[in-house]
Amino acid sequence: MILGIETSCDETAAALVTEEGEIRASVVASQAELHARYGGVVPEVASRRHLELVTPVIRETLGVAGATLDDVDRIAVTQGPGLIGALLVGLAAAKALAWSRRLPLVPVDHLDGHVASLYLQPEPLEPPFLCLLASGGHTMLLDVRSHTERELLGTTLDDAAGEAFDKGARLLGLGYPGGREIDRLAQDGDPAAYAFPVARVPGLDFSFSGLKTALLYAVRDLGEEELAERRADLAASYQHAIVRALVERTQEAARQAGRDRIAIVGGVAANSELRASLPAAIAAPLSLCTDNAAMIASAARWTEPVAYPRYLALDAYASR
Amino acid sequence: MLTLAFDTATATATSALVDDGEVLGERVSRAQSLLEDVDALLRQAGAHPSELDRLAVGIGPGSFTGVRIGLAVARGLALSLDVPGAGVSTLAALAAGAPGALAVIDAKRREVFAIVDGEPRALAPAELQLAPGTVCIGDGAIRYRDLFEERGAVVPAADDERHLPRARFHAALAGEAGPVDEIEPLYLRVPDADA
Ligand SMILES: Nc1ncnc2c1ncn2[C@@H]1O[C@H](COP(=O)(O)OP(=O)(O)OP(=O)(O)O)[C@@H](O)[C@H]1O
Ligand SMILES: [Mg+2]
Repeated sequence: MILGIETSCDETAAALVTEEGEIRASVVASQAELHARYGGVVPEVASRRHLELVTPVIRETLGVAGATLDDVDRIAVTQGPGLIGALLVGLAAAKALAWSRRLPLVPVDHLDGHVASLYLQPEPLEPPFLCLLASGGHTMLLDVRSHTERELLGTTLDDAAGEAFDKGARLLGLGYPGGREIDRLAQDGDPAAYAFPVARVPGLDFSFSGLKTALLYAVRDLGEEELAERRADLAASYQHAIVRALVERTQEAARQAGRDRIAIVGGVAANSELRASLPAAIAAPLSLCTDNAAMIASAARWTEPVAYPRYLALDAYASR
Repeated sequence: MLTLAFDTATATATSALVDDGEVLGERVSRAQSLLEDVDALLRQAGAHPSELDRLAVGIGPGSFTGVRIGLAVARGLALSLDVPGAGVSTLAALAAGAPGALAVIDAKRREVFAIVDGEPRALAPAELQLAPGTVCIGDGAIRYRDLFEERGAVVPAADDERHLPRARFHAALAGEAGPVDEIEPLYLRVPDADA
């Protein structure tokens, strides 16, 4: 079995996944509440929490699966991108586990992990397909040709889609993380109440920063009472603008790449309007959209393992 | 009793393998390559990780990331090998390697870590009470050499080995070994929300 470890942002996660992609256990300790009072992830706070949680989460994972470390054949760990101090906690623990048992270590790219959330049982997707990866730090259109080959067709030029959700939520006075809050509130709002602009950038790229500014102006023009009344409409219209941009570009990318199958992954793939707007798309299960370690272990099935002792001085990376 | 000791809180990381007080090996490197040293130490001694009886790990104060790397390695090893451990203050280990000297660790942001009235603290280097002739050691002493010397303290040459933590002293200072998950880092500062 593969033991996956993920500590790139604000979830401390571990999972046990079989070679066939069956999840035996997947434990995610979210720090969202811890960061809520800051309105976003504070890197040092996150890193401290990862250290407290990393071994208890691994222990719990083994417990849930009824397994021991003797059942583990290799250790997969997120090497980047993410918060460097947070990544180093998971990497150090993973190296220690691997070294002490002479196991191979598989350093996994977090984004490969998000895509590999689609390769897990019970309904693993087989490439090729067009993939929209929309998360807190990334918005990418990928032509996934095989388990190991992907081409980047488009990306965001400024904010990521999840970041746009989070910043919008803050402007609307909603909690952190904001995507889920906007999603919930938007159910009661009118998506056509406000015509928020979606920047049209050439090619298959995205731009969300103008949208955030438009929301800022709309909120500023309203009094406090009025804002309370219109909050659901604002959330619905704002979400609609983001989703429309994602959907249009994703469909265009699929056409250009000649792919008839579309898949969506990453935290924003949990969005109900996005899922409803791409009814034919294959979406990762909700629990595998936001950060988790099952997707990291899954990606390790197609990532070259590093044999003992070559991984001992391995470093993490904040960005590619 | 075979003890693996290490400390990654300062820019120069240290590790040692100690058998009942006999230092089998000691190495210096950086936090990220700690396990390379540990691997070399065990290979030199012809020991397997499963033969370790105890860990002695530096808990800081020092670089937050450095402290965490050491503790995360310790926790990983303990989980895997079911080995107990003890935390050792980096300041105490430095002081043990330089009897009579005051250990001063660079805390960045124009501050140092040092023991003041028996307690580890972060403070401005100018705030340290220094009796004339006090020997100051550690990377904080090197960094603020001019200031300390002006005030009558003595700072050994930069290449003096007393400036570096040496893990043999962590092994010597380690108290009773217990669950490694319960060893707490010594940050001495609240996290910076803007950092
Ligand atoms: N229902 C939802 N609707 C919209 N956005 C959502 C929803 N649920 C979560 N999100 C957003 O998903 C993001 C978190 O996703 P994820 O955990 O994949 O990102 P990350 O790991 O922080 O970033 P990255 O993967 O790019 O490093 C947050 O921005 C959050 O607001
Ligand atoms: Mg993610």
